[in-house]
Amino acid sequence: MKANKLLAMMALAGLGTVALAQSGPIRIGVVTPLTGTYAGIGEQVKWGLNLAAKEINASGGVMGRQIELIYEDEEANPSVAVQKAEKLFQTSKVDFLTGTVNSGSTLAVGQVAERNDKLMATTVSFADSITGERCSPNVFRVNARAGMQSAALAAWVASTKPGAQVFYLGPDYEMGRSTVAAFKSAAEGKGAKSVGELFAPLDNKDYSPFFGQIRSGKPNVIYTSVAGNDTVRLFSQMSEFGVSRNVQIVGASGTVTGQNLAAIGKAAEGFVTGAGYSTMIDSPENKKFVAAFKSENKSDPDLYGSDSYGVLFFYKAAVEKAKSTETDKVRTAMRDLKWSTPQGVKTMRGGDHQAMQDMYAIIVKNGKFEIQSRVSAADAIGPDVCTKF
Amino acid sequence: MTSILEWLQFVLAPQSINGLSIGVAVVLMALGLTIIFGLLDVINMAHGECYALGAYAVVVILGMGVSFWWALVLTPLLMAAMGYAMERGLIQQVFHSKDRHTLTLLLTFGMATVMEDAIKIVFGANPRSVEAPVSGATELFGLFFPNYRLFVMLLGGAIIVAVWLLVFRTSIGAIVRAAAHDKDMSASLGIPVSRVYSLTFAFGVALAGIAGVLLAPIYSVFPTMGRDFVLMAFSVVIIGGMGSIKGAVLAGLVLTQIQSLSSLLISPVWNDTLLFGIMVVVLMWRPQGLFGKLGHA
Amino acid sequence: MLDRFNSNSSKPNAVRILAIVFFATALLFALIGTVMGDSFYIRLATEALIFGGLALSVDLLLGHVGLLPLGQALFFGLGAYVSAVVLKEWAASFWLAIIVSMLFCAFAGLIGGLIAIRSKGVYFALISFGLAQVFSRVIYNTRELGASDGMTGVPVVTVVPGLQTDNPLGFFFVTWLVIGGLYLVLRYVMQTPMGRLFSAIRVNEHRVCFLGFDAWRFKITAFVAAAVVAGLSGALYPMLRGFVSPELMFFQVSGNAVVNVIVGGSGTLIGALYGAGLLTVLKSILGSFTVHHHIVIGLLFVVVVIAFPRGIIGYLVPVLEARLSKKKTGDNS
Repeated sequence: MKANKLLAMMALAGLGTVALAQSGPIRIGVVTPLTGTYAGIGEQVKWGLNLAAKEINASGGVMGRQIELIYEDEEANPSVAVQKAEKLFQTSKVDFLTGTVNSGSTLAVGQVAERNDKLMATTVSFADSITGERCSPNVFRVNARAGMQSAALAAWVASTKPGAQVFYLGPDYEMGRSTVAAFKSAAEGKGAKSVGELFAPLDNKDYSPFFGQIRSGKPNVIYTSVAGNDTVRLFSQMSEFGVSRNVQIVGASGTVTGQNLAAIGKAAEGFVTGAGYSTMIDSPENKKFVAAFKSENKSDPDLYGSDSYGVLFFYKAAVEKAKSTETDKVRTAMRDLKWSTPQGVKTMRGGDHQAMQDMYAIIVKNGKFEIQSRVSAADAIGPDVCTKF
Repeated sequence: MTSILEWLQFVLAPQSINGLSIGVAVVLMALGLTIIFGLLDVINMAHGECYALGAYAVVVILGMGVSFWWALVLTPLLMAAMGYAMERGLIQQVFHSKDRHTLTLLLTFGMATVMEDAIKIVFGANPRSVEAPVSGATELFGLFFPNYRLFVMLLGGAIIVAVWLLVFRTSIGAIVRAAAHDKDMSASLGIPVSRVYSLTFAFGVALAGIAGVLLAPIYSVFPTMGRDFVLMAFSVVIIGGMGSIKGAVLAGLVLTQIQSLSSLLISPVWNDTLLFGIMVVVLMWRPQGLFGKLGHA
Repeated sequence: MLDRFNSNSSKPNAVRILAIVFFATALLFALIGTVMGDSFYIRLATEALIFGGLALSVDLLLGHVGLLPLGQALFFGLGAYVSAVVLKEWAASFWLAIIVSMLFCAFAGLIGGLIAIRSKGVYFALISFGLAQVFSRVIYNTRELGASDGMTGVPVVTVVPGLQTDNPLGFFFVTWLVIGGLYLVLRYVMQTPMGRLFSAIRVNEHRVCFLGFDAWRFKITAFVAAAVVAGLSGALYPMLRGFVSPELMFFQVSGNAVVNVIVGGSGTLIGALYGAGLLTVLKSILGSFTVHHHIVIGLLFVVVVIAFPRGIIGYLVPVLEARLSKKKTGDNS
């Protein structure tokens, strides 16, 4: 008698927990750099996610359940990111994870996600390998990857400066070199000529030793893939020495961002890059988003903020399509999913988990990022080289 | 094919002159380090952060609407005050223990960590820029050099000469050298050795601060900038000889020239390795560096 | 410092008790964790032990020979990378990875030692720092080793039949045995004549030469031993986390190891382990309150250097000793 009662109570409790799990909040883990050099990017990620969560929760949540965001600081260090990701999966029992910034962290956390049979998405990392040769069935990317950025930029260069003489200057590490190489092949494919290539060490203080070589190449376009503090130094020194006079400077999307634009100042005027977002995108969704973002955070959104905003809607659409938060069902729903974002409708390519979106050539004018031209999603996306699933 | 003269004019000369402007900055940093070591026998691992604070001081001062020239004068004074407080408040605590060398090394290392984190918290992680007070460029040997860099070279050079004169031609300098040479004897001659220590530390820190001010317009300002020059400055001090002013100046100028000119031959990524290699070789051949200590000049 | 040569038995007893407390607590913690079905905290504890091994290697150099290494993460990272490469490319064998890592780091330690050991004090510290910088940059740029993204995909391996590396409690136990073993070996070595010489070198190197010993040879041996200890600890990291990245060789890791040793207590070996454990716990707790835990730990470090230079264990040992000898005299009377 007693044993039966006990069993019945346990069964009820079990059902109750299951029921609770289906009606309690959906917990989403965010592993992002809240301190350290990339804290600025982490801040935009946080702002974007918070705004999306607020809007989604205000309109009823996902399948009636509220979204709960749990933040952990990864300090832009993959070892820490892995630890925090495990904490979120195991202790906080999150259903989904996002927020990683550098590619090393995304790849390592992706592996943790696989081991915990959960899904994750990145909104910042742009290394091609994440949805290329190192793709994973548990990793999705909602932002544009390096190849897409290069395609947009190369198209713009080809149309405004046909047969351009391009000089390449990149930071001497693997990512810097491959970004340069990607753009170079895209540009040469459209008729540009290369007049020189230089790689400076990361954290290089002084670029003046390179200016002689750059000048002797007589380029009319200089492409650079430096980022962060290196950009501030390069651009201010180029303007100091007059290297940037009458030369069009173009670069990777990470070269001039909201985090270093203020420090670069006037020297960034006229810089063009290929990216997936600008506050100037002329659509009602974007205008609404920019206004809401600005009033919440007193700051414009950049591509990190807008892509992070979009990822929660991506997840929402997938869960609603799958009618469940179970990993396998959601994954199937995510493949070839279309969802609405401030940048328009994005499609998640099923073959490699890379989001397809229209890309823009963006110019810096008066301290703002404005749109110069557009390349369609299909033209920008590049081939699917993921063979793991 | 460029002729030798053209090569000298358009390739070698600009590299060399650029190396000179970097060299002046490195020497200023190294001077502060070597003076602190020469007198107090303290390795200041927080020297790079003092340089960074000097640069941030300019950011703050300019932000208050005061001109760069005032920043140039005020910052060393602020840094000296901070250095004095650091020495009196922190370094003195471990100065008299028998494990002094290790402890001061560890203490200044800890201070450096705290200072860098504090900068990140107060100023944020994003870079700042400082407008150069002198703009435009002059034509020299057929090439353009930014006026500000020339100004840095001249002012920096003047400061280095002034430090030299201060240490070797004034009575203050004599007192400092005496205290470095023989602490007890100097004390018995009535020299307030402890205060001399604190003031000298403050002076070294102020020199790092000046370097920070001068270089801020060229190299921009961000929390980890302290690490930029630290390895270089320490290498210069070690190669020149810990405590030797002559050594710091010579080694600083020569090493930065080697770095600038070598980038013509080898990829600049190996600059640090080259420097490190030179330091190792010098240490193996002549562990005390090229010249002697402060007391002996 | 001289009382370490004393054969008075209450001091080793105090240290022994503290060591037993440490390892027993660790094991207990893991067992409780397993019962509660958790694997995050067990893996965190395993990671703390692994970095404790690195701290042991720093203590060997700093607390015993008297050399401050600011680049010990180099050997830790080398051990990790070698282990990862062996497991991925050669054979998924735990023992092979361990042995190859140790051999590689011994060799690397020999080369590094030849470069670094001629100097002392800040010179040694800077050369150690410089070596780590140079090699981490080489790895950062090597495509075959994953470059700046590091290498993922380290497979799960079998330690002994029935025990896989992805078993949280099982691997914790393996790490516990390895680090415990390292600790015991190092403690034993410190009691041998060679170990005494290490301490003698730290106290007064010149005198050692006058006593007829070649200090240089002993310092190199210590450096190589430290490299092997660091490398062995590092070799366990990819087995735990399944990946390696160049950040494992960066200065922050070396700096943290030094902080662990100083806060725990240099020269006691077990202090290094306590330091690593306590600071991991502290970081975890602080991390849930504030993002700025770095500066808190930095301030703690400065306070320890000024006010408690002997570290936690350094202060606990005399207290424990006193209590033990009270007991002894109590028994005798």
